[in-house]
Amino acid sequence: MPGNSNAIVVDDLVKTYSSGRRTTVHALRGLTFHVQPGIVFSMLGPNGAGKSTTTKILTTLSRPTGGSARVDGIDVVAKPAEVRTHIGYVSQGASTDPLLTGTENLVLAGRLRGMSSVDARARASALLREFGLGDTADRPVGKFSGGMRRRLDVAAALVHAPRVLFLDEPTTGLDPESRAAMWGEIRRLSAERAITVILTTHYLEEADRLADDIMIIDRGTKVVGGSPDELKASLNGDALRVALVEPDADRVRRAVAPVVGLRDVVVELQGTSGQLIARTDDASAAVAPTIAALEAAGIVFGAVSAARPSLDDVYLHYAGRSFDPADARAEGTPAGADGQTSDSDLKGQAA
Amino acid sequence: MTTAVATSAVARPARAGWLTQTAQITGRWLTNTRRQVWGAAFSLVQPIVWILLFGQVFSSLGTLPGFGGVGYVTFLVPGVLMMTVLYSGAWAGTGYIDDMKSGVMDQLLTAPVARTAIITGQLIQQLLICLAQSIVVLLIGWLGGAGYPGGVGGMALALLTALLLATIFCSLSTAAALTARNQVALIGISQIVVLPVTFLSTTMMPASLMPEWVQNVSTYNPMTWAVDLARNTLAGTVDGAAIWQVGGLVALAVLAYIWSVRALRGYQRSL
Repeated sequence: MPGNSNAIVVDDLVKTYSSGRRTTVHALRGLTFHVQPGIVFSMLGPNGAGKSTTTKILTTLSRPTGGSARVDGIDVVAKPAEVRTHIGYVSQGASTDPLLTGTENLVLAGRLRGMSSVDARARASALLREFGLGDTADRPVGKFSGGMRRRLDVAAALVHAPRVLFLDEPTTGLDPESRAAMWGEIRRLSAERAITVILTTHYLEEADRLADDIMIIDRGTKVVGGSPDELKASLNGDALRVALVEPDADRVRRAVAPVVGLRDVVVELQGTSGQLIARTDDASAAVAPTIAALEAAGIVFGAVSAARPSLDDVYLHYAGRSFDPADARAEGTPAGADGQTSDSDLKGQAA
Repeated sequence: MTTAVATSAVARPARAGWLTQTAQITGRWLTNTRRQVWGAAFSLVQPIVWILLFGQVFSSLGTLPGFGGVGYVTFLVPGVLMMTVLYSGAWAGTGYIDDMKSGVMDQLLTAPVARTAIITGQLIQQLLICLAQSIVVLLIGWLGGAGYPGGVGGMALALLTALLLATIFCSLSTAAALTARNQVALIGISQIVVLPVTFLSTTMMPASLMPEWVQNVSTYNPMTWAVDLARNTLAGTVDGAAIWQVGGLVALAVLAYIWSVRALRGYQRSL
């Protein structure tokens, strides 16, 4: 097995949809990336960024307009039939027939891929047990709960032991408990099997928890890529927060002014309590001097926390396309403007 | 347990033979039918109404010249047989619409399964349903007083003709479903096609009793070909036009099948 070759190699991929006579939609404009084997790779981006199009091309559902893509070393345009034997695909919709039972669905998936009836049955019952669906194996899938159905979709995609598993928004529409269960399954899969997982998601928390490598795409091209930690480190510094009791904003600011490495010091007031927020390159190094400075000035404070930038910060930084702080201030809504502006922006793209 | 799964390695990469793929697809749809058997059963209400009610109410028509003096029910049964197949076939695309909406279609298209196996597997299921319905229609006709002088051989040939007509309309419905991609459009297309095809044919009236323009149109209507063929084979007679009618039905069936496969490829290209 070529252990060092990439699971996915995408080179200058272009996909253009022509809808009607005049309008052409450029879904992908020269997307290039590669994925190492055995990792969980997550694609992030606003709706219409090209995530689904990329997944469709890599799963041979859709043909690219230009460029090339290889899955497990096989060209998706030249040998789609061969690619199909190497991949498992959990699409955004349901992958299983609601009128068939769990067992029947998995056996069908196995038989269509050349497994004997005996092998397919054994494999189906093993997978159903593995995914905690053993008790419901003989119930029609239409009667499954959303979380159970999604787990069955993943099980069905694994019947033939694929090398690359595509999960297109696997937890959309699931309740928090089912989502946590699905995360557990994905983590378990990537740990126990020599499988590459390509995860498309809207949930940054999901990508943060599961992905070894993240690619943010927007307008059909790659914006940035790297591990969650690398991406967070690429932003400007950590956040240091100190809870304050009946603070005097000026006094607090004067007290921490001499602390080396603190930037953008803000004191938030909420009734009788407050919060000091500051940016720093290395929060763990800044905690001790900050505490010392506050104590020396006789300021009463509570919990001190040092947080690295979240993936939300990363995402908004790279993909929050129309967010412009200057515009937000011009509208006279400085408080919470970040959240509102970027939120409506995302919704606008979804529409 | 988990390690057992991981080590029970599957021979990869594997692909099933075309016949296995087709049989699996057929099996999947037949299981669907079995779990919604009321759908196929409900479609038998129409032939019962046509033969037992319409046939009785209009039984005096049988005394007119042109009906061959066999009684109206005997004349009507081959027509109802083809109508049943036509109505049933017109809905054949519904399953694809559900699959496209749910996402199951994407699953099939990304599996190593031949496009022709996807289409053929479902067509076979539809033909099996049509065959079962056709046999029941002949039975209802017999209960309603129709005679089949052509015997078992004649009935078998009539059933084969019904399957030929079913292939045409199932494939057309499939092609329409895969092209239009929504249920409302499919209903519209079926409605526009089914009624004219029925009434501009010899389904309920012999050609000699129809206005001249309808006669002319009905000569080129595959429904007429199928009904005339079934009427002759069930009666145990042969018509000189039979060879052309069979040839015409086979040609249309092949064309419609090819169109349905192309429609599936067209659907995938649109993704």
